[in-house]
Amino acid sequence: MKTRRSVWLAMFLLAGVLLVFGANRGGGPKTQQERIDSLTSNLACPTCSGESVFESRAVAAEAIRSEVARQVAAGLRTDEEILGFIEQRFGGQVLLVPRADGLDSLVWALPVAVAVFSLFMLFSAFAKWRDNRPSAPSNDDELIVARALDERES
Amino acid sequence: MKSKNLVKFVSAIVAVVVAMFFVVLLVAEPDTDMVARSPLLGQPAPAISSRTIEGDPFALERRKGSWVVLNFFNSTCVPCINEHPLLVDFADAESRRPDGAELYTIINDDNSESIRNFFDKNGGDWSKITDDNGAIAVAFGVARVPETWIIDPNGVVRLRITGELTEGLLGRQVDLLREDFSS
Amino acid sequence: MLASTGVSGTLGRAFLLVGFIGAIFGAFAAFTGARRNDQQVIRLIPRFAVLTFAASMGAFAAMEYAMITRDFSLAYVQKVGSWSTPALYNFAAVWSALEGSILMWVLVLAGYTLAVAYWVRKRMHDLIASWAMGVMFVVSAFFFLVSFFPANPFAAGAPGVLDGPGPNPLLQNHILVMFHPPILYLGYVGVTVPFAFAIAALITGRVDEGWLVATRRWSLFSWGFLTFGIALGSWWSYEVLGWSGVWAWDPVENASLLPWITGTAYIHSVLVQERRGMLRVWNISLLVATFSLTILGTFLTRSGVLNSVHAFSESGIGSWFLGLFAVVLVVSIGLIGWRGDRLRSPGVIDSPLSREAAFLANNVLFAVFAFVVLLGTVFPLIVEALQNRQIAVGAPFFDRLSTPIGLALLTLMAIAPVLPWRKATTETLRDRLFWPAWCGLGALILSLALGAYGLAPLLTFALGGVSAGAALRQVFLATRRQGWRGLVGRANGGMIVHLGVILIAVALGASNSFSKSQELSLVQNVEAQFAGHTFELRDVIEVRDDRSISVKALVLVDGRKIYAPAITKFTRIGMNVGTPSVRTSLTTDIYLTLEPPVRQDANEARIKVFIKPMITWLWIGTALMAVGTALAAFPGRRRKPTEPTSAPVEVGRS
Repeated sequence: MKTRRSVWLAMFLLAGVLLVFGANRGGGPKTQQERIDSLTSNLACPTCSGESVFESRAVAAEAIRSEVARQVAAGLRTDEEILGFIEQRFGGQVLLVPRADGLDSLVWALPVAVAVFSLFMLFSAFAKWRDNRPSAPSNDDELIVARALDERES
Repeated sequence: MKSKNLVKFVSAIVAVVVAMFFVVLLVAEPDTDMVARSPLLGQPAPAISSRTIEGDPFALERRKGSWVVLNFFNSTCVPCINEHPLLVDFADAESRRPDGAELYTIINDDNSESIRNFFDKNGGDWSKITDDNGAIAVAFGVARVPETWIIDPNGVVRLRITGELTEGLLGRQVDLLREDFSS
Repeated sequence: MLASTGVSGTLGRAFLLVGFIGAIFGAFAAFTGARRNDQQVIRLIPRFAVLTFAASMGAFAAMEYAMITRDFSLAYVQKVGSWSTPALYNFAAVWSALEGSILMWVLVLAGYTLAVAYWVRKRMHDLIASWAMGVMFVVSAFFFLVSFFPANPFAAGAPGVLDGPGPNPLLQNHILVMFHPPILYLGYVGVTVPFAFAIAALITGRVDEGWLVATRRWSLFSWGFLTFGIALGSWWSYEVLGWSGVWAWDPVENASLLPWITGTAYIHSVLVQERRGMLRVWNISLLVATFSLTILGTFLTRSGVLNSVHAFSESGIGSWFLGLFAVVLVVSIGLIGWRGDRLRSPGVIDSPLSREAAFLANNVLFAVFAFVVLLGTVFPLIVEALQNRQIAVGAPFFDRLSTPIGLALLTLMAIAPVLPWRKATTETLRDRLFWPAWCGLGALILSLALGAYGLAPLLTFALGGVSAGAALRQVFLATRRQGWRGLVGRANGGMIVHLGVILIAVALGASNSFSKSQELSLVQNVEAQFAGHTFELRDVIEVRDDRSISVKALVLVDGRKIYAPAITKFTRIGMNVGTPSVRTSLTTDIYLTLEPPVRQDANEARIKVFIKPMITWLWIGTALMAVGTALAAFPGRRRKPTEPTSAPVEVGRS
């Protein structure tokens, strides 16, 4: 048993080290195409419902895609600035990731609140159940079991 | 006892949230303005340059000094076809004025051949500007045609109209803007 | 109105009316019969089920007939019919727009009603069955009515129309349109059955485990088809839409995902109720949520409300579905409140380290997941209504929030299968998870050796390894004990489903994180290179038929085989549709799309290349899930309900 516990410990340590190593090793700098793809994945096609510019084949999406490609190729603007440019021209509805201020921040805050609340409920339920646990079967319980077992035998 | 209260509590929350959702849907005021918002209003128009379908160069900056109306157009879009006679009337009326506005069609995802055919058939002798890759449309934030934009002689964007024009709307708006501008 | 449509229009509407009347009478018979316990009335119920099903078949056949004969007197045929559509796609055109898909809903629902009537034929005297049939009939009546009024597929069209545009080009481009919608509907509509039994149980007050065990297979059946339908939709998206992805988080997809999430929560938590008699309110609420989410999803996607808050008041159908949604919620919440005292669970959970506790945690995670998807889907609506401003909530939002939830679920999938009921010690856990943990470590090392990076994907692979180990352990132990029977039954079949889910999670992690893409401007007969593969443009050709013109680029990949991504212009609709061409293998897909603008006379073409790892495993995982679901539904040998749970089953544990 002792050895097994140390094997577990070693396994956890190894996994932790490997995860830290893997998380910090990058895939190299982004290529231009990757920049274009990730930018357009964050922009909504203005004439579709819910599709990104990256996904959509609509005319407006093609136009925005080539504008992003042009600005990426020019290399003068950062990702934020390119997104800002498109937002300034088409309005806030082209950003697929809602901003974290004003009413919009609720879309980020509510899921966290609900998750925290439900985890709290879960743990309080566990705690409550542990307190209420009947300590031993009552005489009635024993009787029911005995009767049921009798019936089963016969 | 406690779990029963919890059931009631959660049911009440669900009911309230759904009721609020209904209220939100039902009280929302429709927004039917033809004249649309754009961050570009009151700002200098984006510097755009392209070519007409005849191959002549076109640069918006060079049009400073006169009122410019840009109409984003596609020859297969139904509202574009519907509003076309209104644009022809507007161009006629403006050409008779000394300070008349210049009208340009910005071609949206269409080829020169169908544009030529369309204008041959339906009239309209103003310049048609090609828009490769939709760069002009993106510069103005035009997603869906038709749209009509008015730019003043200083090159500042004054008005954006989305969707099909109604009778006399364009002329009236240009007149109003001209009055404001001269005073 | 009737006079101006052809014979199929008149006949179709007549069938809908008959179906509606049949459903109303069926509901009436079921409810009065059940209330008065009048067996003579109750015996009539199956006849009404037959009648409504026959009527829905008739209406559907009339629509198919109208579509096949191109009866352009109907507005619907004018909208989606065309002489130039090939027969197969023309057949599927019936469900390619709103009115037709509601008609298909009617058909599937009436089919389920009949199937349930047949299933309970010998137990009709049981009042739960009658009440449930009554609920089925009420829902059927609603859909007949929707199909009769606001979504009338048999409405007369403008006179003098001789041909139409045909269905949306995306729906006449791939054979999957034949299968994806009907299969999805089998799942989507199928949740009505367990919902009807839940309501019936509440009404009769018999909220014990009897009805739950009885409808288990119905839930499993519809859940399986929902899963399969969603997966087929992803496959279609991958094969047709040309952005190389399988899931876009768009509202239509979310509408099908939401009931899937709550349904998945249900098929887990129902095991706790079967076993321990707990979570009764919760399970009934999950069934209500699942059913009402199908209605809400239909409202959201079909009323146009997502394009603009104001659109739904114009489309008639929106208020109908919103109304049904309200009624379902009010009735269900009212009934649950009314039966609150009987719903109190007799059992308690002894330890947080037990299988039932793991199921509970699983349910909390699924509930949060459903909340996130629902919130993201309706949030733009709320902002627009409150502030008259349009915003979008899209894939990046859902990706960011679903990643931690998905990882937490994977963790549970690793631990839960080895947990015993009631109570476990850390020692048991240490013991049973020993080999699964090695699997996880192996998966981690392997993925690092293959060059993977980033915390989320690595965690996915490692946890996927542990979960796969845990699932295999269960299957291994069960088959060793019981032979082939160790593969059937819900616990063992469920583990096969888990293996499928793990494959999908790992494939999604890999393909989302390690895809590469590049746009290549290819010149004829000049080889280009990307990511270790070579691409050579051989030719650009044009293919015409009477509905479309397609331009195909013939690209030789790695000097071996020619792939032909295309752009097809559907001339009647004026819409361009790209058709990707994919080289599939077990490790990596090479996904080629042709980018506009295209000219068929040119000797060059712009091609976008996506290199996507492990995509095939998504489909293998799906197949495994389907197999597992079938195995789980297969009758295993189990304990008699009258026996105490501690009694041994004859051969091993079920």
